Amino acid sequence: MDRMKKFILDDINFSILIGLTICAIVLSGIFIGDKMFSIANIQAMAYQIPEFGFLCLAMMLSNLIGGIDLSIISGANAISIFTAYVLNGQWSFGTTGIVRIILAIVVAILAGICFGLFNGFLISRTSAPSLIATLGTMTLYRGIGMALTGGRSIGNIIPEFSYIGKARLLGIPIIFWIFIIVALLLGFVLSKTTYGRKLYLYGGNPVASRFSAIHNERMCRSVFLLTGVFAAIAGIIVLSRVNSAKVGYGESYLLQTMIVCVIGGIHPNGGRGTVKGVLMAIILMQIMSSAFTIMSLSPYTKKLIWGAMLILVLGMNYFINKMYAKYRNKGRY
Amino acid sequence: MKIKIKDRYQTILLIIILTYSLFVGLVNPAFFSVETLFDLIRTSSTSLIVVIGLLLVMISGGIDVSFMAVALFGSYTTIKIMFALGINSLIFAFGVSILIAGLLGLINALLVNWLKLPPFIITLGTQSLFHGIMTTFIGDKSFGAGVLPSCLNSFGQATIFSFQTKDGKFGLTVSIIPILLVGLITWFILYRTMLGRGIIALGNSEEAARRIGFNPFLIRLFVYTYSGMLSGLMGIIYVTQVNALYPNKLVGEELMIVAAAVIGGTKITGGQGKIFGAILGVLIIYLLNSTLILIGLSSSWNDLFVGAILVISIAVSSYQERIKNRKNMIFTE
Repeated sequence: MDRMKKFILDDINFSILIGLTICAIVLSGIFIGDKMFSIANIQAMAYQIPEFGFLCLAMMLSNLIGGIDLSIISGANAISIFTAYVLNGQWSFGTTGIVRIILAIVVAILAGICFGLFNGFLISRTSAPSLIATLGTMTLYRGIGMALTGGRSIGNIIPEFSYIGKARLLGIPIIFWIFIIVALLLGFVLSKTTYGRKLYLYGGNPVASRFSAIHNERMCRSVFLLTGVFAAIAGIIVLSRVNSAKVGYGESYLLQTMIVCVIGGIHPNGGRGTVKGVLMAIILMQIMSSAFTIMSLSPYTKKLIWGAMLILVLGMNYFINKMYAKYRNKGRY
Repeated sequence: MKIKIKDRYQTILLIIILTYSLFVGLVNPAFFSVETLFDLIRTSSTSLIVVIGLLLVMISGGIDVSFMAVALFGSYTTIKIMFALGINSLIFAFGVSILIAGLLGLINALLVNWLKLPPFIITLGTQSLFHGIMTTFIGDKSFGAGVLPSCLNSFGQATIFSFQTKDGKFGLTVSIIPILLVGLITWFILYRTMLGRGIIALGNSEEAARRIGFNPFLIRLFVYTYSGMLSGLMGIIYVTQVNALYPNKLVGEELMIVAAAVIGGTKITGGQGKIFGAILGVLIIYLLNSTLILIGLSSSWNDLFVGAILVISIAVSSYQERIKNRKNMIFTE
């Protein structure tokens, strides 16, 4: 029993998260079980998780260094607009078929790297707070997309591209495999490599990390580079699933990615949190939003629930951390 | 010396506005008219009021992104009450709306003070929460023109110094009076009272403010409540101007106002900001909004220009700060 208690209390946030997820599964199973756990719905969830998941990973990385990246969603939208322009032949430079798809993906990733590096340079070179710097680039990236499209949706892309979003391997969508592999890799990098340890130190205390011979500017740039790349992947996935690109897609994701990070145990001031927590939180969020869709709640009610959830989780974390600190200190005094 | 630099920033801003206006006027002489000026004041009047409330919050080192939801909540609820009781009084409308919005601001203040987390995340949560509560429990119907109490419309149409032109009667909107009042009161609070000194001190360093005898809790309580009250005022003015009541307008434009405050030279980490600067920031954004068509670009270029101005102003002001800090061996990142 003591070992059990120790196990639960050791990573209290994660234990609570698992409890919440089980609660969500059981509750949705009792009330809307037959629709919720049909093969079709589970598969639909597996298709929906990756685009949202990559945005969450991007938000998580920026939160880990004590910042925030508001520009991921408008960045992903701008990137999917570029990609759509390549795929519908306007920017394809005469390529066709599979070559054009490869070109489109290369363009998307390059654009993601550019966007990420721009954020990184802006923040690391001028010491601008990331909240306000990415607010600026968010407006800028949305402006780029808006100026290119004039607010219209860009469609008419070659049909082969949608296979990326549709194809399956062993009954599970390929995009889901990609997401899981990237998430596991990221988890490995964060927990087992020097880079990961440096990142946590930089996030927890940037002044200490500067005086520990860590190149703070380079760390900052690399993190924002990664968020840019994740945003680009999210953009590709969105495009292949929706088959058209438009400014303003998925703007409600900003609140949801924040909720995922907060529930997943990422401390908004930086330096604390793990990928496994975020993965669990993504699954919890997806179960809840599927359940809401099945119950056909209005968007306003969803908004109410998400807002209430964010505030409740923040409040709960506050109390748990207070109690947890007491428990940890017990042995010491 | 320090004061001189701050003043210079606003002078540069003013010069930019004047040069741009001159340019627009040369391209399209129709721009130079009193109507344009009056129209600019009318369209920007709602933003001018909330930006002043936001400015106080930002000077105190916080940020508030829930004010639009608060404004909507206040005005929508007030007008519902007026419908139910059959009241047709302007004073009642303003009074009740300011009261409700002030209470919501108080909730923000308590949460920010209690949870000790980045106010951006907390107010993002309360934004959804307030909007969700309003649309779920109070109502989500739109009310068009003609249904609203008549006093609101007559306030929205009222003008001072009206004069006759060949296009019809034209005048300065009466909403300028609340703006001037709010500006004056805020100026008085900020520069002529102990409270104002406390707000600036809290923004510069919470610890220092506490040690010289300010109570950070009370100051926070004041700034968030004040911001809420101004939002309530703005909500009613918005309703009188559009002469209709929608449950989904306003929310989503918060970040534009934050951008305006930042363009106006407000520091997001607190301690610095001028009322005049924030007003100039709003005017720049509205000027771009209304004049891009006059110089031959469609309004979809708006975001691009605002984003570029925002990024440049952030980069310049943060870089100056960084150089100054590095000289004094302060590594704030």
